Amino acid sequence: MSSSTEHIEEPLIKGNPSFGKITSVISRISEKKAPRMWYVAISITSSLAALMFVSIGYLVWEGVGIWGLNNPVGWGWAIINFVFWVGIGHAGTLISAILFLLRQKWRTSINRFAEAMTLFAVMCALVFPGIHVGRIWIAYYMFPLPNQMDMWPNFRSPLLWDVFAVGTYFTVSLMFWYVGLIPDLATLRDRATTKLRKFVLGILAVGWHGGNRQWKHYELAYLILAGISTPLVLSVHSVVSTDFAVSIVPGWHTTIFPPYFVAGAIFSGFAMVMTLSIIVRKLFALEDYITLRHLERINKIMLLTGMMVGYAYSIEFFIAWYSGNIYEAFTFINRATGPYAWGYWIMITCNVVVPQMFWFKKLRNSIPVMFVISILINVGMWFERFVIVVSSLANDFLPAAWDYYSPTFWDISTFVGSFGLFLTLFLLFIRFAPIIAMSEVKGVLPEADPHHHAQDHDHKEPNDGH
Amino acid sequence: MKLDASTYRLSEAGRPGQIGLILGLLGLIAGGAGYWVDSEQFFFSYLTAFFYWFTFAIGGLFFVLLHHLVAATWSVVIRRLAESVMATVPFMALLFIPILFGVHDLYHWSHAEAVADDVLLQGKAPYLNFGFFALRAALYFGIWTLLSYLLRKISFKQDKGEVQDFPHKTAFISAPGMIAFALTLTFASFDWLMTLDPHWYSTIFGVYIFSGCVVSIFAFMILTFRFLGKNKILTETITIEHYHDMGKMLFAFMVFWAYMAFSQYFIIWYGNVPEETIWFIHRWEGSWKTISLLLVFGNFGIPFFILITRVAKRAGLMMVIMPIWLLIMHWIDIFWIVTPTLHKHGYHISWMDPALTIGIGGIFFYLVWSRFIARPIIPVGDPKLKASINSLSH
Repeated sequence: MSSSTEHIEEPLIKGNPSFGKITSVISRISEKKAPRMWYVAISITSSLAALMFVSIGYLVWEGVGIWGLNNPVGWGWAIINFVFWVGIGHAGTLISAILFLLRQKWRTSINRFAEAMTLFAVMCALVFPGIHVGRIWIAYYMFPLPNQMDMWPNFRSPLLWDVFAVGTYFTVSLMFWYVGLIPDLATLRDRATTKLRKFVLGILAVGWHGGNRQWKHYELAYLILAGISTPLVLSVHSVVSTDFAVSIVPGWHTTIFPPYFVAGAIFSGFAMVMTLSIIVRKLFALEDYITLRHLERINKIMLLTGMMVGYAYSIEFFIAWYSGNIYEAFTFINRATGPYAWGYWIMITCNVVVPQMFWFKKLRNSIPVMFVISILINVGMWFERFVIVVSSLANDFLPAAWDYYSPTFWDISTFVGSFGLFLTLFLLFIRFAPIIAMSEVKGVLPEADPHHHAQDHDHKEPNDGH
Repeated sequence: MKLDASTYRLSEAGRPGQIGLILGLLGLIAGGAGYWVDSEQFFFSYLTAFFYWFTFAIGGLFFVLLHHLVAATWSVVIRRLAESVMATVPFMALLFIPILFGVHDLYHWSHAEAVADDVLLQGKAPYLNFGFFALRAALYFGIWTLLSYLLRKISFKQDKGEVQDFPHKTAFISAPGMIAFALTLTFASFDWLMTLDPHWYSTIFGVYIFSGCVVSIFAFMILTFRFLGKNKILTETITIEHYHDMGKMLFAFMVFWAYMAFSQYFIIWYGNVPEETIWFIHRWEGSWKTISLLLVFGNFGIPFFILITRVAKRAGLMMVIMPIWLLIMHWIDIFWIVTPTLHKHGYHISWMDPALTIGIGGIFFYLVWSRFIARPIIPVGDPKLKASINSLSH
């Protein structure tokens, strides 16, 4: 080789911790008494969650008339929120499954709580179509249950496909998350000091003792689950996109919807991972585990996926003109200049313009900048669904039926409340489970490599070349 | 064929290129004669053949852009071949010129009298007119040529150890390059293939074509390295781990093709708007139905169950059969997109189709090969080369 400079991988974890130190740092978060901030936070979030349950209670009592739905706009915030929350979940599955298959070792620091975030986001998502059915007490008819009336859901309806797609997604994500947790739960069990803790964790750790055969089976199971989850990352949001795309409503019926929705979902999911990881690493002093390098990589993914949705917006716009279909052309011009233009431009600004700041290394490495941008992206992604759902419905084929849609208090309270539910579950998770996959992080340390030489034990300080 | 162990250059290796050149010239002469037999058939066959090989060249460009963009390690050792493939882009521009002469035979929108009594085409006229069409093609080729030139230049400089901070410099080209690539390939596939039916439109079409480009470059690379391996070249350098990884990418993008194809079909079928379904109805008419079904099972169903297995991706024989199979299917895919415009009621493979495909393919291979053997066949100056050779697959 003519080159003399050997390529050196920088360590992913800073501070050169030993295996023991990783165990104690991560485990202690759930072992010691919760910080006062945690109690403050959970009391706020659980109040918000309570607000959601009150709103749902009133909805069941009174009916969907309490929402801002009107005649052309039969789908309002509930569907927007559903798509929004399902989308948030996608980053978790992408990180845990696709990045695993692509051998991206940096995923180990963030995969655990990203997966947890997936589960909680899907729970929030499922609330919305569930309560939108009107007669919630017979919501089980969404499932094809054999009955004496021989009544079945419409198998040609994308709404039924949603039930299957999201249901499968939740089940597989839960299994994946739990299988990944087992070795860490066993670690917590072994460290447990109280009888109760030992008992509960003992059951959850299903007899894990870290033997060779157990690891072998574990890794095989993990690989298979990653393989199963990978198509789910694409299929779930593709099916969600067919809720719109298989109709012939202008602005909905377009072939790029499945990949475009998937890209948007990953985009918003990573933004949520970013928002939460910045808070978590600060709160529990995990800066050595979730390093700037991790955050920078997330930023690059957001830049990429942001441009993918930008690509979809542009191609849709072009084809709307190119098609010569006057309804398509009107819908897109109406989005940009009509009554919901404010929503459209929030979407473009937050999703396409703002992420361009990540072209600059300095901004990509600035915590305040990325924190603000990650929140703006999720604002933008919410508005993307708003623009799609509302603008296409409010101004459809019959101008006489056009109406302006605005939400009511109950729309807002249910949505804000869903954040309460999401964050409450997340706070419970960081309190009771290991938020970083200890066994996996140990696996990416230099000393876990069989070819590792003990003498160069003090790793080079990462001077982050790229 | 011999490999110099210190410079990593091939010697006595001109023969495959010569064979390619001879086949190419024979094919072009034979196929070219078809112009005087049936000019319309000639241009449709030519477009199929041109676009088929174009997807390889552009796939090579995509591979190199992506490789630099994600700062990949495992693929360093196979990068030089992809660079040689993308070097054919400027020649693809030359091979595009006959299409400009065939615009009237290929594209309905280019006839003034057709536009005169078609409201839709009048609306599209600002985009679909010969001048702008040619100008756009020049722009696309200009961008691709520039990108391929810059990325090859810096790679050769790296061989000599003249580049400082290679990852940064290549990322600086590839990041904006990838955006330009995405837009140009999309509009090129709109221009050259989608407007064959000027009324039809599909927003996913560019991504659909893109998926085929990636399948073709990985299939091509696997086959070329297998050919080298048969001649005892790079057997210790391109290991079974690399074949496994390339096989995974081949599998992934084959599935991605199916995902794009299904999305396009499904949304159009379900929506059932006549101006959109017409495209698929043409491809379901008469014997075209067979070709449509062949694509479903041949380009997805059967290879899916074979390539998903670990053993197929690491086996000698399957890693020859499956790339060849998928390349044949990829040709059929392009044929299935282009030819129903001409033969509406059933497929018809003219003798010009194979002649021109072999003709352009031979020239393409000659160009790739002559560029490949003119330099070290792996990027000898890359600091990540050793890590790439030693990289392990799951």
